[in-house]
Amino acid sequence: MKFKTYFVGDIPRRKFLQLSLKGGIVVATAPSILSQLISCKSQLPVGANLKLDNQVLNRIIQKALEKGGEFADVYIENRISRRILMEESKFKSAVFGISHGAGVRVISGDKTGFAYSDDITEEKLLRAAEVASYVARGSEVVGPVDIHEGEKDSFITVKIPLGEVADEKRIELMKRANQAALDYDSRIKMASISYYDEVRERTIANSEGLLLSDELPLLFFIVQTLGVGNNTRHMGRERLSKHSGFEMFEKVTPEEVARTCARESIAMLDAKECPAGKMDIVMQNGWGGVLVHEAVGHPLEADNIAKQIGVFTGKLGQKVASDVFTMVDDGSLPNFRGTTNFDDEGTQMKRNVLIKDGILEKYMTDILSAKQLKMERTGNGRRESFRYIPIPRMTNTFIERGKDKPEDIIASTKSGIYVQSLSGGSVNPTTGVFNFTCREVYLIENGKKTTPVKGATLIGNCLDIISNIDAVGDDLAFGPGICGKGQEAEVSAGQPTVRIRGINVGGSRARR
Amino acid sequence: MEYKKLSEQLVNKSLKKGADEAEVYIESGRNLSIEVRNGEVETIQEAASHGVGFRVFVKGKMAFSSCNDFSDSALENTIESAIRFARNMTQDENNVLPEDLGITPVENLYDPNIAQISMDKKIEMAKKVEKLAMKDIRITKSAGAGYSEGEGEVFLANSRGLLKNTKISACSFGVYVVAEKGDQKSSGGEYCSRRNFKDLKSPEEIAEKAARKAYEMLDPQMVKTQKTEVIFDTDVARAILGGILAAVNGERVLQGASFLRQKMDQKIASELVTIIDDGTMPKGMGSRPFDGEGVPTQKRIIIDKGVLKGFMYNTIVAKRAGVKSTGNASRRSYTNIPGIGAHNFYMAAGKNSPEEIIRATKKGLLLKGVTGYGINPVNGNFSGGASGFWIENGKTAFPVKGLTIAGRADEMLNGIDMVGSDLDLNRSFTAPTFRIKIMQIGGI
Repeated sequence: MKFKTYFVGDIPRRKFLQLSLKGGIVVATAPSILSQLISCKSQLPVGANLKLDNQVLNRIIQKALEKGGEFADVYIENRISRRILMEESKFKSAVFGISHGAGVRVISGDKTGFAYSDDITEEKLLRAAEVASYVARGSEVVGPVDIHEGEKDSFITVKIPLGEVADEKRIELMKRANQAALDYDSRIKMASISYYDEVRERTIANSEGLLLSDELPLLFFIVQTLGVGNNTRHMGRERLSKHSGFEMFEKVTPEEVARTCARESIAMLDAKECPAGKMDIVMQNGWGGVLVHEAVGHPLEADNIAKQIGVFTGKLGQKVASDVFTMVDDGSLPNFRGTTNFDDEGTQMKRNVLIKDGILEKYMTDILSAKQLKMERTGNGRRESFRYIPIPRMTNTFIERGKDKPEDIIASTKSGIYVQSLSGGSVNPTTGVFNFTCREVYLIENGKKTTPVKGATLIGNCLDIISNIDAVGDDLAFGPGICGKGQEAEVSAGQPTVRIRGINVGGSRARR
Repeated sequence: MEYKKLSEQLVNKSLKKGADEAEVYIESGRNLSIEVRNGEVETIQEAASHGVGFRVFVKGKMAFSSCNDFSDSALENTIESAIRFARNMTQDENNVLPEDLGITPVENLYDPNIAQISMDKKIEMAKKVEKLAMKDIRITKSAGAGYSEGEGEVFLANSRGLLKNTKISACSFGVYVVAEKGDQKSSGGEYCSRRNFKDLKSPEEIAEKAARKAYEMLDPQMVKTQKTEVIFDTDVARAILGGILAAVNGERVLQGASFLRQKMDQKIASELVTIIDDGTMPKGMGSRPFDGEGVPTQKRIIIDKGVLKGFMYNTIVAKRAGVKSTGNASRRSYTNIPGIGAHNFYMAAGKNSPEEIIRATKKGLLLKGVTGYGINPVNGNFSGGASGFWIENGKTAFPVKGLTIAGRADEMLNGIDMVGSDLDLNRSFTAPTFRIKIMQIGGI
């Protein structure tokens, strides 16, 4: 379910520090992916003290900057989550989670100190502030500005709050999806329906005087179906996710999600061997945008640029892609999975055009990398939870719509493969080398989409790929995903139908 | 806080509130992470935390809840949430908790000295490994070095009388560097993780390997699309073991979502292939005295000289399959319901040195990096991105990058014709160097 996975031999730095500890042991302080699920306000634990007085926050920030440093922030979070799993037509398990705590961070030059506490009390947070301040020893002491409550635009609307939805309603949705999947075709032998919801309350206060609070609902609905036939098996997957109230399911029904998934499972039972080697590919609109998320998006995150190791270092203002290629990261698209009102450092979300008509215009920054590069804050400072420091992350990232008709793009491709959906992939942000695993692929023969072939890997270098995109459709669409960069973040990726010339495909037979 | 006593009390509280059976899993731990770059500290993160997970059963229906707030009201609310949630689940006679079958004594999983070593010494270690890795003139930039550690204690109690706890630690350090030549960039990293601080490798060894991984891949060449012999380096063990591990998951097998579902006691791999899961190895990064629901861990043969011998189970899935739990209930943290996972999962060592395997290969790929998801556990298909060295006449000739590699699990496993002696059991997911006699490579 992750679309960014790291493998031994290709582990970016942040991840290896974590992997090395996570491999085999469970330390309570290593929060897990699945822990970050679903929630609702009405079920807050009675008596939990989750709000701190402004004066207390001021004192914590003062403490954090006592030994030096130029910036400090406090991030307080409360998350209530629900996850229900239905498999083999049984409601197997339900998982309810309450998680709250606060992190204190100090920035001094290029250094960051960070500590967190499960207990949101002045005593514990003053202690965290002291631990975090360790890195700033000996630097100049700058006094913080007293905090005052601020407000930002909201991009998330809720009609039916998750906290007001009875569990029976959730169960009902899952039953409907399960039935629709099994009814789709007798070759669907199993369906797995996973429902998550969560409400995350955030309070962010910093030494620049900022104080912001909000509440973010999140829904994530995943259907997987097992198709069996032709002496093979295929597990299909379809996902639906938004920062939204329960009304999400009015726009796209559980049945639609299930049928889309079942269709993939059945279609791929006829898959033949995929050819190997360099060929042209056409990618269907939607979640295929994960290709640019990985291949171009991660290398445009400013942390590696600030370290001068990223593949796009020093290329601002230069032509890096073909003229038809414009790429955007926009955390303000209404209710999208990658949308929030402000990022986890309190910077307003907005539309950021990263590459315009092939010219590199912008990197995605958090507060630290913006300072290091002397660039604007773009609203990309995100964190998985209070247990993590913010780092530059994508939100909703996509290739901007072009002018070509999708059917013309296929028709003008003599031979190659048509990638209908991707599982996900990863990139080395230093070298720009990426890989993707396809879920549903077809051959293109004489300008027509023909035989399905087994899901192959696509690999290449990001700079080559964006130079080799020569057709961009007018049918922009999006899909939801989980992005991993040592921490998990909820994102969307999108694109219109595009054609990429000459990409290496990991098929299991030679081309005929 | 007296967690052991608390875990027992919380089981009783869950029963009083309406659970027929209950399990309480408490974790308490602390961690430290230091990152340095260009000789300066970049981040220091330190924290201690704790949390509790409840698994409750109401009339054969199961639910789970967790929280990190140990106030009475929060704990009560969390238990009640699980009980309320359980009522909506499906009744299943297999929903049971394990009895107390004791523990497997495993030595050296906790090192009390880690916490005693000063912060400055740990920072110095990270700085030193970075400095050493930058010494080579081909290395132009540091992507950072780091040291991290964690220790934790787990307390587990259930309504069938089980009550146990265990303490574990781990520490790790490593470095990640970049080699540049003209417009080319190549990155390489290496780290070492151990249960005990004194067992960590020397900074010299880690630095040398990280630097070599970066510079040795400069000036790669492309090869033609072809079928050829492929030697899997020890660093790419995951590419083959991951799919096998998922395919021997007892629940996947019952669901029909495993390419090994009907292969028990059949030959599925070459006779040179033996795969073991061992939760009992002293100092093992995947070792534990008991699994995620308190069942003692074992050392088990999964594939014996090519014959499939074992699937993996937790208590519920084992009951459904009509077998006993194999001690493979996995729990990533207190927030997770127990799943099924491995401990130290490895391919047993063979006879040949890695050099002998290369010498015996006339032409082929020495695979040092694989990207992608590895073997698909549902249907056994494998496809990934590949990098490494091209071999000609028994010698490494030049680096290769940007290739693809593909095959099917049955062909790959049966095609293993040489297995190396260089197994490193300090890793929890590991294989020696081995060779597959034919695979499809995609190039130009």
